[in-house]
Amino acid sequence: MRTQVTSAAGMDTRAASRPGTPSASAVVVAGLRKSYGPVQAVRGVSFTVQRGEIFALLGPNGAGKTTILEILEGFRTRDAGRVDVLGADPGDRSEGRALRERIGLVLQDIAVEPYLTVRETIARNAGYYPASRDVGEVIRLVGLAGQERQKVRNLSGGQKRRLDLALGLIGNPDLLFLDEPTTGFDPNARRDAWEVVRNLRGAGTTIVLTTHYMDEAQALADRVAVISDGQIVATGTPATIGGRDHAQAQIRFVLPEGSTAADLPADATSVDGLVTMQTAEPTQTLHQLTGWALQRGTVLGQLTVDRPSLEDIYLRLTDHGAPESRPQRSTR
Amino acid sequence: MSITTARHAPRRDVALLWHQIRYEQLSFWRNPQSAFFTFVFPVVLITIFGALFHSGGGSSYFYGLSALQYYVPTIAALSVLGSCYSQLAIVLSMRRQNGILKRVRATPLPAWAYFLGLLAHCIMISAVDVALITGIGSLFGMPLPTHWPAIALALVLGAASFCALGVAVASLIRNAEAAPAVVQLVLFPLLFISGTYMPIHSAVLNRISGALPVRPFNQALLGPFAQHTGFDWRNLAVLLAWGAAGAAIAIGRFRWNPRPQ
Repeated sequence: MRTQVTSAAGMDTRAASRPGTPSASAVVVAGLRKSYGPVQAVRGVSFTVQRGEIFALLGPNGAGKTTILEILEGFRTRDAGRVDVLGADPGDRSEGRALRERIGLVLQDIAVEPYLTVRETIARNAGYYPASRDVGEVIRLVGLAGQERQKVRNLSGGQKRRLDLALGLIGNPDLLFLDEPTTGFDPNARRDAWEVVRNLRGAGTTIVLTTHYMDEAQALADRVAVISDGQIVATGTPATIGGRDHAQAQIRFVLPEGSTAADLPADATSVDGLVTMQTAEPTQTLHQLTGWALQRGTVLGQLTVDRPSLEDIYLRLTDHGAPESRPQRSTR
Repeated sequence: MSITTARHAPRRDVALLWHQIRYEQLSFWRNPQSAFFTFVFPVVLITIFGALFHSGGGSSYFYGLSALQYYVPTIAALSVLGSCYSQLAIVLSMRRQNGILKRVRATPLPAWAYFLGLLAHCIMISAVDVALITGIGSLFGMPLPTHWPAIALALVLGAASFCALGVAVASLIRNAEAAPAVVQLVLFPLLFISGTYMPIHSAVLNRISGALPVRPFNQALLGPFAQHTGFDWRNLAVLLAWGAAGAAIAIGRFRWNPRPQ
């Protein structure tokens, strides 16, 4: 499996060996490995990001997401494997400047000069790019309109993150890396940030983001790769990942008064009066169930039908029987 | 989309460098601490010395110079050390620790433009410092120097060398909290044995400090400032050698990332 991917990526790299050569893939990673001393942080990771899509690396803290991202961004060297970002090798310093003119980065920690104003900070970075976006337009885009003349040190944490996003966008990048872009945001700010990211995709920007929030991957990503222990354990769209679309539907309801699980027309488990049924044919099973209930003149209280959530799939994929390695769940 | 990439005309590089210098200047003047330590300390020092010694004539203690003729060049040298060596070592350690250097690395700004921008900024600040101190000296009756080219050369070479040493120290320091202490620990004894605060009349000590960076810089300024001599090539060469050593360490050891790989 891995050799197949590697050879395919090899062809891709040759075809797009010059920076700026159009290619269908924005990012190609094949057989990527990285160790810190005895710790293997990334253990043979391969994936491809298509141009114009939002690709999410989803995984618990310490799974290797940021290491992979930092290798793609050119901040870290790799031990083995092939990496191709917009047709260039980010580990090759001689191509660094040309590559950096076409990628935007939003890193995890906030780091901005405290004494410059919002506008000055963005205008400074705009000068680093040959074809930057308009400073005022970017300020509006990230929702900092009205704060242009504020000193950076007087901004709130959320406003600083917006400024960080503005610095990632100002160079009008073809490819944008977002490392946990909404960590620490309140729910409204997250919705706003998602809207900005979706609009960027709409304008043709390819986006690679890391997150440990299920709902973020669900809401934003065209495709998701779930990472656990330095390896990709599943890739797919948020709707299909981990066989989610083929998983059996679950029907839940409160067992009617005076009935037992054995009376039901199909197999079911009952815990404290709450019945759970697994079925591959929910239409048929529901018909049987509701017919049974109407015939007996009773109701199915709190009736729900659902499929496993992305969170259920994620927890199953990243669980190694070590509860302490579980991710922080998003607070709602 | 990709037409503009990978084409860096020299004119664009010059514009980029100027852009970078402007924003270094803006960051510097906005930061009250850096402006305070760079200007206030040497200005207060020369004002005190001026008030104390303004009426004194030449004495053998000051090698035949008046006290003020001695102190204007050495305090001018001190101000250059502050705005180049100390300031740069501390600012770069802080910027690295805060992740600001990593952000710079994330942009297409080339490393040479970043460091040349810092160097040009430091030389400008040094020139302002030296002009201030010379001006205050003349208020206390010190005649203005005549050999400006020699002063300009010593100033630029000294500023560049102490910038290189500042970057070298920033490269060797691991955390920013330690930076001011390390900087002062190296500088303070060096200032004393190099005659910045009082003339040293020990031949042995002068031979030692003459091979270290501060005394050659003092001497290279003392000549054209007070003794109406010109270029002090021997001391400038020592200064240049220290600058080259600092640059070598800086190039070999400088880190942009707050955490080592």
